[in-house]
Amino acid sequence: MENAVHELGTGHIKVKRKVFTKMNITLYLMLLPTVLSYLIFHYIPMPGLYLAFSDFRVSGFRDYWVGFENFEYIFNLGNFWQSFGNTWIFIILGYVFVFPAAIILALLLNEMRGRFFKRTIQTVSCIPHFVSWVIVGGIWITLLSPTYGYINQIIKLLGGEPYYFLIKASIFPYLLTFIRIWKDVGYNAIIYIAALSSIDNTLYESSVIDGAGRWKQTIHITLPGMKSTILVMLILSFSGVLNLFDPVYVFQNPALLSIAETLDTYIYKVGIRDARYSVATAVGLFKSVISFALVIMTNIVSKYITEDKETILW
Amino acid sequence: MKRSKSESVFNIFNIIFNCIFLLMLVVPVLFIVKRSFDAANQLTTGAALFPARFSLVYYRTIFQDSTVFRPFLNSAIITVFGTALSVAMNAMGAYSLSHRELPGNKLFMFMIIFSMMFSGGLVPSYLLMKYLGLINTYRVLIIPPAVIGIHLILFKNYYQSIPAELKDSARIDGAEEFTLFRKIILPLSAPIIAAITLFTAVGYWNTFFTAIIYVNSPKMHPFTVKLQEIIIEQQEMMERVDRMAAEDMRGNLDDESLASAIIVVSTIPIIIIYPFLQKYFTKGIMMGSIKS
Repeated sequence: MENAVHELGTGHIKVKRKVFTKMNITLYLMLLPTVLSYLIFHYIPMPGLYLAFSDFRVSGFRDYWVGFENFEYIFNLGNFWQSFGNTWIFIILGYVFVFPAAIILALLLNEMRGRFFKRTIQTVSCIPHFVSWVIVGGIWITLLSPTYGYINQIIKLLGGEPYYFLIKASIFPYLLTFIRIWKDVGYNAIIYIAALSSIDNTLYESSVIDGAGRWKQTIHITLPGMKSTILVMLILSFSGVLNLFDPVYVFQNPALLSIAETLDTYIYKVGIRDARYSVATAVGLFKSVISFALVIMTNIVSKYITEDKETILW
Repeated sequence: MKRSKSESVFNIFNIIFNCIFLLMLVVPVLFIVKRSFDAANQLTTGAALFPARFSLVYYRTIFQDSTVFRPFLNSAIITVFGTALSVAMNAMGAYSLSHRELPGNKLFMFMIIFSMMFSGGLVPSYLLMKYLGLINTYRVLIIPPAVIGIHLILFKNYYQSIPAELKDSARIDGAEEFTLFRKIILPLSAPIIAAITLFTAVGYWNTFFTAIIYVNSPKMHPFTVKLQEIIIEQQEMMERVDRMAAEDMRGNLDDESLASAIIVVSTIPIIIIYPFLQKYFTKGIMMGSIKS
């Protein structure tokens, strides 16, 4: 890079850099497709949020500005609040069951004494993560099928009556949470296992001398050692938390619609299937605002929780 | 070190628990495999995991019925071209971003990070694709998803860990920047390129959501959408009609078994590349966690 150094009268030195050097031009060219892609596919749609304040349909603009009418409209819709509430049900169940499950698995695997067995579990449990939700959904729908599904075959074998799992709206949230664990616990646990392996072994050794049993060790050494990893994972998980389409959509059937509709599936149906663009954009904007607020909140909270009193994201 | 009794009990519990866990992971898959090879599923009783009547009819259907085969072909096309484009764009773009002194670098990074947190939403994106004429094309499933922020960051971090002396000595020898990139950086980056290629390929292979939104012609659907259709059909049929009658209607072709065969076929590529994925993945996590 060519630099020209000018010494100004006040004794400050100003370095004048030539921006368009040959190297920089090459670098800019290499960056161009990426930047274009971001501009076109991410930034051009952003002003589209304006549609939430207009009445835009397939036939075109019925009204260029309707203020908050669209929001009034959706806030009065039962379906909207239902899908909003359902989203939160799945989120809460996710944090109560899915999030700790990976930690528990990591702890258990860490205590496992057979290396081959441990590696096998890690390898096998990771695979469902890389498979699409459609496939996972297909697997479980087939498994839970009322007459010929494996689960019901075993129930019949044990003398019970076949149970139609997939139309019971009351158990669906728990069923889906279980399947989410099935899919992701192995993969999620890997990060915690890595964190566990970085805990100083001498801590354990000295605790044994002090007479600590396994349980005390876990509480006083292992968990604190994982604290920062757990926190980071927790905070990172907040940013995409309202996104819930695939897991729910693949299981949807008429009997489950009261519970198996999240904000994302709702937006899809209203916006794409029913082509009610303005209304769907309003719902989307609502969701974005809440997500954004969540991210900011967790970032602020992280300042008080992490050890170095710094915010995690910026 | 003497192991206390409660520790032994715990160990036994741990092993039993993990055995059950392993079973829960494996048995569903075994059942699907069994279903896919079974022409007479209704004859199976109990916990049998072997086909009642072994048959390849569902696999034959996949290859002979064009409404089933075409989606696989579509997925293959999307995956091959998408992965090539995505890895190329991300590897190149991240190289530029790895130069901290490049004017505008901070701006570009902000642009990328900001877009990860805030987006225009589904409808504006859909309308944009409509306006660009990308609806119902292969391109819409290949190009927009190509640039992935996380991959950019991973590449960038890797490039920044390459010693500067290597780059400087090449520049002193008169190498142009792109030649430097091609001849020195890329070969050195083989591990990360391989890892990201695998992850990208899996991502494209699993395309579902974008396909549902932007593609409504059945001819262009990836296998995921087709699979979803079959499953929904099966569920609806189960609710309306008696199971046996449903099978008779389709000439003895059991939708769920077809779905099972599709599941098996579509999972095979992932199973094949999985060992490679795992090698890079656990390594990457180790490196990443140590850094943080």
